[in-house]
Amino acid sequence: MIDRLSPYLGQMIAIFIALALGAVVILTVNESPWKVLVTLLDGAFGSPERIAGTLLQTTPILVCGIAACISLRGGLFNIGIEGQLFVGGFAATWVGFSFGMPHALHVLVGLGFAALMGMAWIAIPAFFRARYNTNEVVSTILANYVAVLATSYLTINVFKRAGGAPDTPPILESAYLPQIFSYSRANWGLFIGIALAIGVWLFFTRTARGYAVTEMGANPKFAEYGGIDIKKQTFVLLLVSGAVGGLAGGIESLGVHHRFMEGFAPGFGFDGVIAALLANGSPIGTIGTALFFGALRSGSLLLEVDTTASREIITVIQALIILAVSAQIVIRRRPSDSSAGERRWKF
Amino acid sequence: MEILERLFNVTLVVATLRTTAPILLVALGGSFTTRAGIFNIGLEGQMLLGAFFAVIGTIATGSPWIGMLCGVLAALALAFTFALLVVTFRANEVVVGLALNILAGGMTVSLLKAIFGTRGSIFGHGLVGLPVVRLPFAREMGWFGQMISGYTPLVYVAFIAVPLFILFYKRTKLGLYIRVVGEKPEAAEALGISIARIRYTSSLLCGVFAGLAGAHLSLGYTTMFTENMSSGRGFMAVAILIFSAGDPLRILAGCLLFGFSDALALRMQTLGVSSYVILAIPYLVALAALFALSYRARPRIIQETLASMGRALSVKPNTASQP
Repeated sequence: MIDRLSPYLGQMIAIFIALALGAVVILTVNESPWKVLVTLLDGAFGSPERIAGTLLQTTPILVCGIAACISLRGGLFNIGIEGQLFVGGFAATWVGFSFGMPHALHVLVGLGFAALMGMAWIAIPAFFRARYNTNEVVSTILANYVAVLATSYLTINVFKRAGGAPDTPPILESAYLPQIFSYSRANWGLFIGIALAIGVWLFFTRTARGYAVTEMGANPKFAEYGGIDIKKQTFVLLLVSGAVGGLAGGIESLGVHHRFMEGFAPGFGFDGVIAALLANGSPIGTIGTALFFGALRSGSLLLEVDTTASREIITVIQALIILAVSAQIVIRRRPSDSSAGERRWKF
Repeated sequence: MEILERLFNVTLVVATLRTTAPILLVALGGSFTTRAGIFNIGLEGQMLLGAFFAVIGTIATGSPWIGMLCGVLAALALAFTFALLVVTFRANEVVVGLALNILAGGMTVSLLKAIFGTRGSIFGHGLVGLPVVRLPFAREMGWFGQMISGYTPLVYVAFIAVPLFILFYKRTKLGLYIRVVGEKPEAAEALGISIARIRYTSSLLCGVFAGLAGAHLSLGYTTMFTENMSSGRGFMAVAILIFSAGDPLRILAGCLLFGFSDALALRMQTLGVSSYVILAIPYLVALAALFALSYRARPRIIQETLASMGRALSVKPNTASQP
């Protein structure tokens, strides 16, 4: 029992150290850590509306987190989830305002197209990673910047209504992802996220292929001897991860914003990656960490109102937590191919 | 034709050198860690923090030089944290680097609000930029003089550093040690070189240059600090480091490519091209270069394999001919 709990205990201690450091940071910006904590808790869970707000923030982090889990399992870092989210969000919006369809079909087509575009967005980095071992961390990060700029371009230069706000036309009501509560924009995307988490968890723990992928992440050489086509698995894994990233964007646009604009869902992709890392690549664990980050985000809205601290203090605390935890978690990462003699760094 | 003349002239060269400098500084810094065998994705954050504290230091003291020092110290603190976690605690480099980038982003915005009560950007407040260096003999040299004079000091530092880096890696003991640690850690261990100490040293040296790059962004390139002003330059530097393997000359070539695409993009704005398209150009160039060079690396692997197979096959005739 103690043995099974000990890794979590280490995690808890790490988080505690990070929170202590966070308190120091809060003190340096002249605010009381206790007041910040109370405000955060109040902002995240103080009333049914605020709990719904927390679930609203949790949804995209969860879906992005699952996208990150999928790649992490195979020892790959898809840091481009932010970009896939933007591309997927735009794609779903476009389906939402361009076509008229029956309700359920419209939502499904919108989400499907979002996933497809997310997949398309990662296809080139995934291909080069699988075939030529191009570093996927850097290529997907750079693709993020392009995705944000490209979707902004399409929004402002192609679809902006004359004289209107800098956003796309709103989507048709038939494309709305249903809300969970009447008083919040929290939507069914949360259930999609939880279903995905369970599905992905089952895939990795209960199927032969899932086991093979996990093996590839843990020890690629061994996996190769075991007859796994590493190149193919890498490519497919990154494509699926990208599709889920795109889906997250689709959920945001069809469930929350109902249109696409500049600064659409900022930072959710990165938060998802961090949530997945904190859960050490476990989809079920990601539900918990995503909820934690969702609560932080939701609570930080009140923070901006009630204290002098800025919302970004939350990202500082998040970063501190991941740093503290990273000192002891071991992310399985395939060592880079040394046969090229060029890339010598280990992961 | 007229458009081409408006695009390509001496001022474009000047603009290229100007836009190359910050990314060159940070990429040169990254060459220390790359050569020591560390994948340093945290350059972006070090640069951003450097830029912020350079501005804070300048406003507090009135001297851009002290500001620059503050920027370097801040970047060093981040570099030290990186080394502590990666070298001592053996944490994953990518995870730590990303977390430090996020930390730098959040910290600068939080402090910006705590100190100045605003978001977005700061300028004014008695902020002084680094002085411009006018070479005394440049005036007589016509267009060439125009090209080499009138930059802030860090631009010169960046370009002069390239040959110095080549000498450093070829001629100095520390340079050799860094290379050995990166290329053959087992050999380094056998020689009694402390891998940990060398990796700390290279991380901190990297921090110095990333801090200078940041200070150049906020005090030389512009005289202001904006949220997220490093805007991916650190990541582009990492891309350059991947295909240059930390070699200073190839770093220079890569940085000039980005500097040029950056400068050209800024010019295209005057032609009425959408700014979103223009801003995307340097990232697209970085991506294209990353993919193209990894594709080109492929035939070499094949060639190496073929050569080794050839050697294996030629064992018989060789042994037969040699008594």
